[in-house]
Amino acid sequence: MNDRINLKLLMVDDEKKFLESIAKRLELKGIQVVAVTTGQAAVEAAEKELFDVALVDFQMPGMDGAQVLKILKHKHRYLEIIMLTGHATVDSAVECTKLGAFKYLEKPYAFEKLIDVIKEAYEHRLKKKFEHNQKRMDELQKLSLGRSPLGLLRALSRLDDDEK
Amino acid sequence: MNSRNSKMTTDDLAFFGTVNASISHELKNILAIISEAAGLLNDLTEMATSGGDIQLQMLQNCSRDIVEEIQRGFVTIKRMNAFSHSVDDPVKAVDIADCLDLMTGLAGFLSYACRIRHQPPKKQVPPVVTRPFRLQHLIYQTLVHAFKSVGPDGEIHLSLQREMDDAARIRFAGIGSGHSAVFPTESAGSVAASINAEVSIDEERRTIDIVVRSLDEAGCDGQ
Repeated sequence: MNDRINLKLLMVDDEKKFLESIAKRLELKGIQVVAVTTGQAAVEAAEKELFDVALVDFQMPGMDGAQVLKILKHKHRYLEIIMLTGHATVDSAVECTKLGAFKYLEKPYAFEKLIDVIKEAYEHRLKKKFEHNQKRMDELQKLSLGRSPLGLLRALSRLDDDEK
Repeated sequence: MNSRNSKMTTDDLAFFGTVNASISHELKNILAIISEAAGLLNDLTEMATSGGDIQLQMLQNCSRDIVEEIQRGFVTIKRMNAFSHSVDDPVKAVDIADCLDLMTGLAGFLSYACRIRHQPPKKQVPPVVTRPFRLQHLIYQTLVHAFKSVGPDGEIHLSLQREMDDAARIRFAGIGSGHSAVFPTESAGSVAASINAEVSIDEERRTIDIVVRSLDEAGCDGQ
């Protein structure tokens, strides 16, 4: 049965062996994976390419997972972020939720569970983008009423065009 | 005997909890790596069974990773065991080099830990009669402070030398600047006092020294 998932995923974890194994397993499922080992590299990668979902390790040296989450959510509104941790606490779960994480998974987790959560995150992203596009269509319709073509172009350029 | 020295304090319990939490986090990471490598092995063999290419290099990498992580797990459990048994004897002759080795290993599980270079002692350092758990606590607190002062990309040099017949000096070198205002903390000071250890800081040389002196047979500092 073909259960390939067509989406682009950014993954950051300082444990290189873990990162390599899981990246390969996700690629075998059809997911395009960009894997990096530091929070800074994750932020930079997200600036260069458009990702649908991110997997972020909570505890990393240097820029930790919470900082990465905060930066990515601020810069890429529609990127859904799943936090991974080997040391789950109520406080860290609450912190991640407040910062906008989609879900919080404790290691080690079942791979199938991870796939399910990635799919849910992706569907959530698509839904949010669809709602955003619908809203834009409504705004465009309102703008176009009674305007000259030049007037319409000026109004369009003022619209907030966040593609991310 | 000073009752402060003979009973576990809240700080002692917090230290014990912190170290055990870091050990469990390390073991979870190890199990996660083994789990994913085993899962990938399974995926690759399924692909080969279904007629796909046999990816020999990847199979070898997975096997190697599993073996290495199991070994890492054994080392972690050995350290956990040594740490757990450090409360068996309230006072005993402690090999300071072994104690340093154990605590640098345990502190290395912290996400903000930096590199530690051990410098071998010029002369053999004889065991010091002390409270092993409290000495571990003091070394751990000093390492945590050292890590925070230099950051995870930094490096600390650790050396041990014989001071007098019944004392040893542990030196942490390469500490970040501006640390003397915050170390030793009240907790570290209290732990040091309970084992007759002296903590001194040299801002110019960027070092922290711990001098550990032997306690008498009653486990007192002779005062």
